[in-house]
Parts: sequence; structure tokens; C-alpha cells
Amino acid sequence: MGAVAITGVGVISPLGTGKEAFWKGLIEGHDGIGEIAAFDTAPYRSKKGGLVKGFDPKASIHPLKIRRLDRASQFAIAASKMALEDAGLAVGEDVAPERTGIILGSGFCGVVNSEAFHCGQVLRGPGDLNPILFPNTVPNAAASNASIELGIKGPNSTVVQSFCTAEAAFLFACQQLLANRADVIVTGGVDELSAFLYRGWNELRLTGWDAGAGERSAPYDLKRNGFIPGEGAGIMVLERRADAIDRKARIYGQVLGFATAGGSTHPDKQVARAISGALQRGGIKAVDFIDGAGNSAPRLDSVEAEGLRLAVPRHLHEIPISAIKSMVGEGIASGGMRIAADLLIMEHGMIPPTINYEYPDPRCSLRVVREGLHAPIRSILHTGISLDGTYIAILLGRVDGVS
Amino acid sequence: MDKKGVVITGMGVICATGKNVEEFLDSLKEGKRGIGELTLFDCSGYPSQMAAQIEGYDPLDFFDRRELRRLGRVDQFILIAAREAFADAGLGSATGDGEGSGVCLGAGAGGMLSAEAYHRQLLAGKRPRPSLLLPFVPSYATDRVAEQFGLQGPRTTITTACSSSATSIAYGAGLIAVGEVEVMACGGGEALSELTFGGFCSLQVMDPLPCRPFDARRRGLSLGEGAAVLILEEKERALMRGAKIYGELLGSSLGGEAFHITAPEETGTEEARIMREALHDAGIRPQEVDYINAHGTGTILNDQVETLAIKEVWGERAYQVPVSSTKSMIGHCLGAAGGLEAVVSLLAIEHHCISPTAGFERGDGVCDLDYCPQPRKAEVQIALSNSFAFGGNCTTLVFGKEDLWA
Repeated sequence: MGAVAITGVGVISPLGTGKEAFWKGLIEGHDGIGEIAAFDTAPYRSKKGGLVKGFDPKASIHPLKIRRLDRASQFAIAASKMALEDAGLAVGEDVAPERTGIILGSGFCGVVNSEAFHCGQVLRGPGDLNPILFPNTVPNAAASNASIELGIKGPNSTVVQSFCTAEAAFLFACQQLLANRADVIVTGGVDELSAFLYRGWNELRLTGWDAGAGERSAPYDLKRNGFIPGEGAGIMVLERRADAIDRKARIYGQVLGFATAGGSTHPDKQVARAISGALQRGGIKAVDFIDGAGNSAPRLDSVEAEGLRLAVPRHLHEIPISAIKSMVGEGIASGGMRIAADLLIMEHGMIPPTINYEYPDPRCSLRVVREGLHAPIRSILHTGISLDGTYIAILLGRVDGVS
Repeated sequence: MDKKGVVITGMGVICATGKNVEEFLDSLKEGKRGIGELTLFDCSGYPSQMAAQIEGYDPLDFFDRRELRRLGRVDQFILIAAREAFADAGLGSATGDGEGSGVCLGAGAGGMLSAEAYHRQLLAGKRPRPSLLLPFVPSYATDRVAEQFGLQGPRTTITTACSSSATSIAYGAGLIAVGEVEVMACGGGEALSELTFGGFCSLQVMDPLPCRPFDARRRGLSLGEGAAVLILEEKERALMRGAKIYGELLGSSLGGEAFHITAPEETGTEEARIMREALHDAGIRPQEVDYINAHGTGTILNDQVETLAIKEVWGERAYQVPVSSTKSMIGHCLGAAGGLEAVVSLLAIEHHCISPTAGFERGDGVCDLDYCPQPRKAEVQIALSNSFAFGGNCTTLVFGKEDLWA
């Protein structure tokens, strides 16, 4: 592999908007998670969430259009614009609209509109329905609105795959590039945290809460008790590596390998299979850093740790691992923000901390990074661990680091 | 890298006119319409009460009570179709090649029906059962299929509304073509829900009568529900094991119109581009196409634009190629539509029979092609199927007889 390069990054996150604010927050270990004021959390045992900060839609979207776009679409448009600008690509000038694609992972985008529309149906009846809401209930509204705003006419799709949603979109984008279906693809993940979604996560008893150690996102920590819901967008620009080199683009990194595995039995073995598959394809045995999917869920974090131990039995304790969901929470497409972080980590040669990591858990026997540290990072193993049995591993590398 | 051939070796369906492929085929041959009074929920206040609901569906015919507690209506449909497709392909759940197989399904509203039940109780001040929310994420069904049939490779759920399941077939085939996997279960499912029903009513694109695609009197679409699962398999492997082959996916294209969130680009230029790209990908000239399975929703604008697009690609020959809309019989099954229509295209190839645009009587100034008002016997070697969605997501698939080049 190594045929796909990443040349642009755009982020809207609970740590701030834009890759600079995002990186500063990450490396300084800021907590992007806080008490939710946007909606009432009184009925639930969880109170916190990772809501986007510093986002002004007017900075990238015409004011007249803003009102008609849901927040998820605004995130997608703004982050896609940032990523394309960062890549130095203008659609229609540097690349043909038909050869530019957009494939986004979208968690529950549109749910906020679905809820509002259905409220109208139930409370006011069928006679008075708001036709503005319905078109934006579809999960592909975010990617489609971005394609309309940016004039992208190539492969256009939206995917969801539990907590591996952005990773699944990323793989789809790579396949489209490798099959020469497009020259440039905008890909990543976008999530919007709505009141209905927050309720759902709570009702299913999946979220973290204050059971004495505080309500926090604490991946791999002994006292973790659930994830903290988050939102945001992490969007990348992908090209074939040869094209990126030809146009002398700044290349953040390349895709060395990836693999998907799944199964409800022996999830740790499935995780290990995905990781081994990605490493094997990348042709490398050890990596410089592991970007962990750890989201503070009691079972999933241990499944991930055990999978890592099975796949990398000898070197695991030498490899630093960090989970940025400690700072941004879990949106089901937060893999997009994580891939963006991976690229910035390689660029800066620094590893952000896993905040809230206080009590080591013997079931997560990993070298968890507690304080940001300097280290040359040539390759990163990115794990995607989902609730419903899909596991994806992606291996990223510097273009000058690994051939 | 050599692109590998992708053939379809198994199919399963459930929809308003058939609970399996055999029943569905019989209905297609007769042009039977499955659109009638919607009874799944109270729709008396809406301008239309029509839908292609699956009548006489009893989940207990297919699942036990324990399983049903964790399966939404759409998940059930998908599993029913998947069972039939795997059995049809002669691939059991213990194929022993789980690592070389994956699943990619399209979804529309997903578990919306369950979520609505939850939300309705909530708004009534009750405490709804949280497990109603389990199927809410559309990838839920995909994971259940992977689990039940031991598919351990790639898994993806496509959520581009009306083009989802067509895109799932294009992507699944793409993974086989590059040698990533040998077998993919593709397709998708949809269950009627009040949200989508009310939603299309709010856009005033719902025909108060059963939909009449391409007809001059058409007033909109009728919604439907169901699922289709197709087993895509690497061609050499299928030939080696002597599998029954329905046809080959010769080419595909997925693109965006970058025009409007609900309306198609009026001149049809964008839809024409996607069809041309798919034909180019398949290495097929327009005049070689024997049948166009249209997106054909029945809305005034959609049918007009699709007709213009066909005319742009086929020119004068547009009048010679039979075009029909499956939605005239089974409604618009959103997330399942592209999958069901892929099955229709493959059945046309296998049975030399073009299913009709049921209810079509006369066209108008723009819609003046051969829309096949009656079922028709015809040799179909190559069929093209269109799926156009909200957001301008367009997908076109081109299927051919397996031994086309022999």
C-alpha cells in the first residue's frame, strides 16, 4: 500500500476550531468536556459532554445559508473547507469537480431534525409539518450540503459503522482513490450531539457518571465507568501519493495499511486480527505510537488492550499509547478527529497525553502517556473499536519515515 | 492491478409483493402492485394513506420472541433477505471463509420505527423501554448479518437515503475487484415509519393514489418497505465452485450533483453524467443496453429529469430502450430500493422478462419513452439501474449476463 497520502486537515472540536486550536488543546492536555448547558441533563445521571467550542459558522458559510443548515452540516462544510484550503486545493481550479469526492462518516447527524420533525407530528399532528426540517433528517445531509457548498461532484457517500464510523468512511475513500474513481477525496467524521441522543446513551447505560471519582472520560483507567458523549468534525483530504508528490503538496502522512475484523465472540481476538492485518499489510512489525480508541467504556477499553497484547505481544510495553477521547469524548464518528490528531502528531513529533489517567487497570496493561512528550513519530497504529463487533485498524506513516 | 470480475450468486428479498425471490418474481411477471392502504400506523391525517406495506407479515414466522426483543422491523427484513440470499448462494453460515467475506448494506431510516415508539411514549410522559433505541444506529443490522453469517471481513453501512443500497453494491464489488475479499453481502433494508411518511407529505411529493411513475397524471411517490440482500462473489471463485450465477456487475458510478438537498438538477445533465460514467466503467456503449431499471419515483420533477437524462445519453435511441420503474409495484423502498431494483435487473436478465411500470397509461410532453406498461418477454443481456437520492447522491449500476463475452 502506501499509495494514499493525506494532504489536508480540518477540525472542529470540543478543544476548539481549526487545527491550531485543536493541537494546542491536545498537547496541553486541555479537557474539552464540561457540564452541558445547551439542554437539560437533570433527568440523567450523566451531566457532561464534549461540545464544540469556538465555532462561528459565519467564518466559512454565507449568513443567509446558515439558518437553513443544521449544525452537523455547518461542521461538515466548515471543516471540509479548512481541509481543502490546508491541502492547497480549490475544487474547480486545481481539481475537477467530477474528480473530487466526499465520503463522510456521520454518527447521528440529522437526529436533531428527526426529533424536531417527529415532535411536530406527535404534538401538532399531520396538518402542520415543517418542510424545511425533513430534508435534513437524512444522515447524508452533512456530506451533501458540503458537496453543494464546495461544488464536489465525484463519489459522494455517507457511512455509519458504530464507533468505527469515520474509520469505515476513511477506508471507503481509500478504495475509491485506489480504484481511480477520483483524484481527491474529502473524508472523515462528523457528529452532532443532540438532547435525544444524549438521552439515548444515558438510557442504554453507556455513559460515564460521577460514582465517586468524578464524571470524566478516563480511557484505560481502573475507575472508568462509561464514555462521555462528544461532537465535532475531523476531516481530511486524501490523494494518491504519486499525485501529491507530483504537485509538491505538503504530505502529512500516508496510509500504510488497514484491516477490518469483526465478530461477537472473542472480540479481543478479532481486534488482534484487525491490528495484525494492518501491520502485515504495512510490512512493519512495530510502530512508534498507538492512537487508542479508548473511550472510557469499561468493557471496550479492556477488549482493545487485550487485542493489542495479542497482536503485539513482545513490544507492546515499549510503545506509547494515548487516547484523545479523554479530552474530546466519544461521538460515534470521532475517528475523524483522531486521524486528524495522528497527522498532527507525526508533524510535530509530539504525543498528547491521555488525561484523567490516574489508576492503572491491570486489564489495560499499556504504556499510557500521561504527560505530553516529544518523540519522533514515523508510524502510528490507529485502532477503531466499536460497540457492535466491528473493529478497524489503520496504519499511518510519514512519507519520509517508512517506505 | 488486474480488476477481478464480480458476479451475483445469491439473492434474497422481502417486499410488498413477495416474501422471497420466487414470489417476487411471479409478481414482477404479472406486474402486480403492492401499494394499498397503510395500516402500520395511523396516517388518517395525511394527504395520502397509500404505501407498499408488507401485508400479513408476522415476525414470529421468522424469529422467536427472544430474538425479536433486540430486532427492529428493518433488522428483521434484512435478516430474512440475508438468510434467503446465503441459502440461495449455497453458502451456509459455516462457510469457513469468514475472513474473506464481508458485508456492506444500505440503510434509510433504519430503526426509526422503534425510535418513534420510544419518542412517542416519552412525549406522552411515560418511561419507554430503552432497548427500543438499540436498532437506532443503522449499522446495527449490518453487524447482525455479519454475526449470523460469520462474515469477518469489511463491514460498512451506507446512509445516503434512496441510493444507499445501490452504493453498497458498488462498494462491495469494488472491494472484491481489488482482491480485498471474495464474498460480500450487499443490499439494504427499509421499514415504513411515520417520520419518513410525514416527511415526504411535508414536501408535497406523495401521490394520494398508488404512484404512477412517468404517467402524465403522476402526483408523487408511494413509500414502500422491505429488504434485498445480494451475494457478490469473485467471478473465478464462483465458477470454480460451480455456483449458480445470476449475472455480473459490469460497472458502476457514484457521484454527487452538488446542486440541491432535495431537487435534482433540472436538465438531467448530472444524472446523464453518472449513467455515462457507469457505462464507461462497464466498457459498454449505450446502444448495448437492453433495459433501464429507472429510479422512477413518480414525482413530477424526478421522472422528467430522469427521462431527459436518458435522452441525453441515448439520443434518438432513447425511444428504443425499454425503461421501467419497479417503484410502481413496490413503492419507494428508500434504503432498500437500489438493492431490490438490482434484483429486478438481474431477474430480467435471467428470465428474459422485463417487469412493467405498472399503472402507466400515457406519458406527457417530456416523458415519452417506452415505459413498458405491460410485462414483456425480451432478451436482456445488459441492464442498467439508477438510484438517485436526496442530497444529489446518484448511483448507477450496470449488470450483464455472466457469459456475455463468451
